[in-house]
Amino acid sequence: MTNTQPNKMRGGKQMGKIKVVHYINQFFAGIGGEEKADYKPEVREGIVGPGMSLNAGFKGEAEIVATVICGDSYFNENLETAKQEVIEMIKKYKPDLFIAGPAFNAGRYGVACGTITDAVQKELGIPALTGMYIENPGADMFKKSVYIISTKNSAAGMRDAVGKMVPLALKIAKGEQLGSPEEEGYISRGIRKNYFAEKRGSERAIEMMLKKLKGEDFVTEFPMPDFDRVKPNPAVKDITKAKIALVTSGGIVPKGNPDHIESSSASKYGKYDIEGFENLTSETHQTAHGGYDPVYANEDPDRVLPVDVLREMEEEGKIGSLHRYYYATVGNGTSVANAKAFASTFAKELVADGVDAVILTST
Amino acid sequence: MDLENQKRVKELTEKYGAENVVVLIGAAEAEAAGLAAETVTAGDPTFAGPLAGVQLGLRVYHAVEPEFKNAVDADVYDEQIGMMEMVLDVDEIIKEVKTIRDQYCKFND
Repeated sequence: MTNTQPNKMRGGKQMGKIKVVHYINQFFAGIGGEEKADYKPEVREGIVGPGMSLNAGFKGEAEIVATVICGDSYFNENLETAKQEVIEMIKKYKPDLFIAGPAFNAGRYGVACGTITDAVQKELGIPALTGMYIENPGADMFKKSVYIISTKNSAAGMRDAVGKMVPLALKIAKGEQLGSPEEEGYISRGIRKNYFAEKRGSERAIEMMLKKLKGEDFVTEFPMPDFDRVKPNPAVKDITKAKIALVTSGGIVPKGNPDHIESSSASKYGKYDIEGFENLTSETHQTAHGGYDPVYANEDPDRVLPVDVLREMEEEGKIGSLHRYYYATVGNGTSVANAKAFASTFAKELVADGVDAVILTST
Repeated sequence: MDLENQKRVKELTEKYGAENVVVLIGAAEAEAAGLAAETVTAGDPTFAGPLAGVQLGLRVYHAVEPEFKNAVDADVYDEQIGMMEMVLDVDEIIKEVKTIRDQYCKFND
């Protein structure tokens, strides 16, 4: 009986070259810049543009078999259809690996690369990665779901980008264990992994503290999330004519907390009428906040939401007027995403109501 | 280097032959000068233009390099480039362009 299969690996899977499909935009395909950004998806056999560099980096271990090209505007303006069109094109080639970009700091290209990489992974189950600059909007949108190599902000960083994308791509395609974001060069996905440390925590903490005191570099074991910084608006031109609104994350609500705003990790905010209120009292208002001693806020809610002082200023003509409604939520453990969503909703109302400035009070 | 200029360099090189072409660049910064020099020798490093993957290996100099400066009339040089020579980081530009030339230029001269 002869049943030898010399060319097959265990498990019956033929291990040849890793087949790669690459996605690029109209610019990197040499079709044109902004004027060609409405270019519809197209697939070309073989390598186009930056694929040359990737393919050279693979050194025969993998090969780009097809390149999908799509205009950035077309992709972003027809997100769902474009995504499906591109997916269909990729599917035909049954690749072992999918690579998009790198997109550097090109916003729409980055979003396209992130979207399609995510979709290839989820819908086709094919390992995928992309690359872009950390401030590309696509990075924030997709860094948690896909591997994004951190690149420089312009195409001048192509060599550097390819140098990092190639090894990670091969590892992903082969299903090898990946190292940390620092080791592999991808943007942190916010995943923690356990490991055995040689020294115990107290020792490591003291070493870190000593380095910090000496002004030396140290690596924290508990990195804080990156928050975006908001630039302050220009100063109000004439505060004596301005309509001022109060917004608080200090949890001041009408007595009884009618909207049941949670004492922590709030999922909502309230909009409350203060027409006729000269002063907030323990009879009329309270705090819903569960993250600080509420005694003083409940005794006199003006301590958190200074309606009394603003009424005086209104009277004295120091401000134009106090807006009829205030908005309140509880900041205690509330996610940045929720807080952003609340504000983006009520900021529109505030603008529509002709409010010129907002005083935001916390606890 | 923008796509139009890449196309021009490519066409001129095809027409006259690489040995008969010298590219003179005037970029104000070392990095930009290096990228332009790389484009006409090793190929477009951004892989976006007509010279992507095309290694022309041309002779390339920046206008502030001694090779060019010594080859032209000193008075004209002074009048046309003298001012820029004072404000640019000449050493850095020379270093960058020379590094690229040494590495990728096909002509040893």
